[in-house]
Amino acid sequence: MSKWSTLQSRSFLESSARERALGLVDEGTFTEFVGPFDRRTSPHLEVLGEAVEFDDGIVTGVGKVGKTPVFVISQEGRFIGGAVGEVGGAKMVGTLKAAIAFADKIAAEFPNATDEEKPVVVISFETGGVRLHEANAGLLAHAEVMDQFQRARGKVPVITLIGSKVGCFGGMGFVAAATDAIVMSEFGRLGLTGPEVIEQEMGKDEFDSADRALVYRTTGGRHKYVMGDCNAIVDDTIAAFRAEVVKLAKLPVSAFEAMRRIGSEALVAKQLKGVALAAEMQPKDARDVWKHAGNADPIALANVPLDEFRSTVKRLAL
Amino acid sequence: MDTLLGQGRAAIDLICDPETFNENKVGAKSFDDPDFGPGAVVGTAKLDGQTVTVIASDADAFNEKFPVVYAGIIGMEEGYKMAQAVYATLEADKAEAKENKRAIVLVVDTPGNGPGKVEEIFGMNKATGAYQLALAEARLAGHPIIAMVIGRAISGAFLCHGLQADHILSLDSDFGTMIHVMPLTSISRIIKKDMETLEKLAEGNPVFAAGPRFFSRLGGVEEIVTKIEDMHGAVSRHIAEVRDAKKRGTETTGPVGRGSLGAERGGRVVRPEVIKLLESEFAAVASKYLPGAN
Repeated sequence: MSKWSTLQSRSFLESSARERALGLVDEGTFTEFVGPFDRRTSPHLEVLGEAVEFDDGIVTGVGKVGKTPVFVISQEGRFIGGAVGEVGGAKMVGTLKAAIAFADKIAAEFPNATDEEKPVVVISFETGGVRLHEANAGLLAHAEVMDQFQRARGKVPVITLIGSKVGCFGGMGFVAAATDAIVMSEFGRLGLTGPEVIEQEMGKDEFDSADRALVYRTTGGRHKYVMGDCNAIVDDTIAAFRAEVVKLAKLPVSAFEAMRRIGSEALVAKQLKGVALAAEMQPKDARDVWKHAGNADPIALANVPLDEFRSTVKRLAL
Repeated sequence: MDTLLGQGRAAIDLICDPETFNENKVGAKSFDDPDFGPGAVVGTAKLDGQTVTVIASDADAFNEKFPVVYAGIIGMEEGYKMAQAVYATLEADKAEAKENKRAIVLVVDTPGNGPGKVEEIFGMNKATGAYQLALAEARLAGHPIIAMVIGRAISGAFLCHGLQADHILSLDSDFGTMIHVMPLTSISRIIKKDMETLEKLAEGNPVFAAGPRFFSRLGGVEEIVTKIEDMHGAVSRHIAEVRDAKKRGTETTGPVGRGSLGAERGGRVVRPEVIKLLESEFAAVASKYLPGAN
């Protein structure tokens, strides 16, 4: 494992789940929960004669950013594509439960605690959703995570980071959408139905999954930023993602409601304006929507350096 | 009638008091546009005389605007329409005491969420997520939510429409009900294990097998209903059970309750151990993370 200081300049895209977890919080503050030494491996993979990981492909723990306790969930795409099974799902749920209970404890015992002393949850997604080897348990875990998110509302902000190789798809695509704030890099991808699955279901004419540019402009960070589906788009380093976490960690929990995309009747009404626009436009390509949002040359905009993109892009107003 | 597959509307009449279903009306909200989310059926009915919100899928509907929506698929409009029905239910009973909030009955027969390019460009993930958060909010606010699986409860669509309920009931597989992420044949192909091995393993380990009985052993289904005519009574009984359980908090029903049930039934025994271990490991260091600690 690299030193904390060298982790900072590392590519987020290339980093392992543990490197991301360690590098996102302050140096030396991370305590891992149910880590590799606990050897909580998947019994279901074992029965199938498959290789197991001692952390089941997910790193969970708590660290600090300044004065803020930061609960971290970090998924490892290099182990079965970051897919969620019984153990990994329980680690996610357990971490969320611990964060909520900790927020309740601080509210009860430290009435003068400042906003920055109250916990946040950070989830670094890298997953295609349910692990098929233990599909039913993985599915049930997704429902539990969604339930914990609703329980966390108004108590603990949940921050999503997406910039890893596998992206964030399948059930975890809506799990991420249900969090308070979403930070992506331009290499991050977020969606429900992965490109291969759309092609398989709808045909190559609808979606050619081998067309990487098409895949990125449909689900990638820049597109999600135009759509308002992520709150910030950052450079591909651990330091850049960390800087966003530092910024968000100081905010009062109430400030996060305004960052959400879904989770209230008013937000559903707002999203329905987007759906009406989709029906009216019938876009053949994400670029059509970029144009509609006021970006005259979407092809150029997709290729300019990220700084320039951030300063010139027009985001879709709903 | 030996199956209700694709017959969500008929099922509403069998589950609720006959001919009480008032479609497109939930509390003060009316859904007046017949072309809006036609794959989602929402409305209000009576069940043993009590007002309930009903949310189902229409397998015969086709959404002209979003052609991926047919055969009971939940598309973007459908997901948001279902969410609106839940928010309208919350609004209708907001002045009611927790124990008097009306039940929500989910009639489950859906093969999937809308897969498509437009869906990905605009974010199908938000529509299904929005509906799930609305259901979780209603459940935590006291509304008993019962899902009755009458047909297909497949993967993400079951997460969307079913798995946030307090209790889940399913007609037995004789009636053609399907609960799974993928059929075993597809899983076999993807994880490269032959069917014979998987079928044999599924007998002892329900974790990847398809069908309501396997889900029941995992705690994912509270009760299997073995006769169509028993659905009405079973849903009514579960509404009462859930109301009673909610007096003791929010931890014994819904996804958390099904976690406990999975351990009790022996299908998911690792989950609670991992959560417990995690909690004890955090408790050992928690003081370091409290305000004022160094």
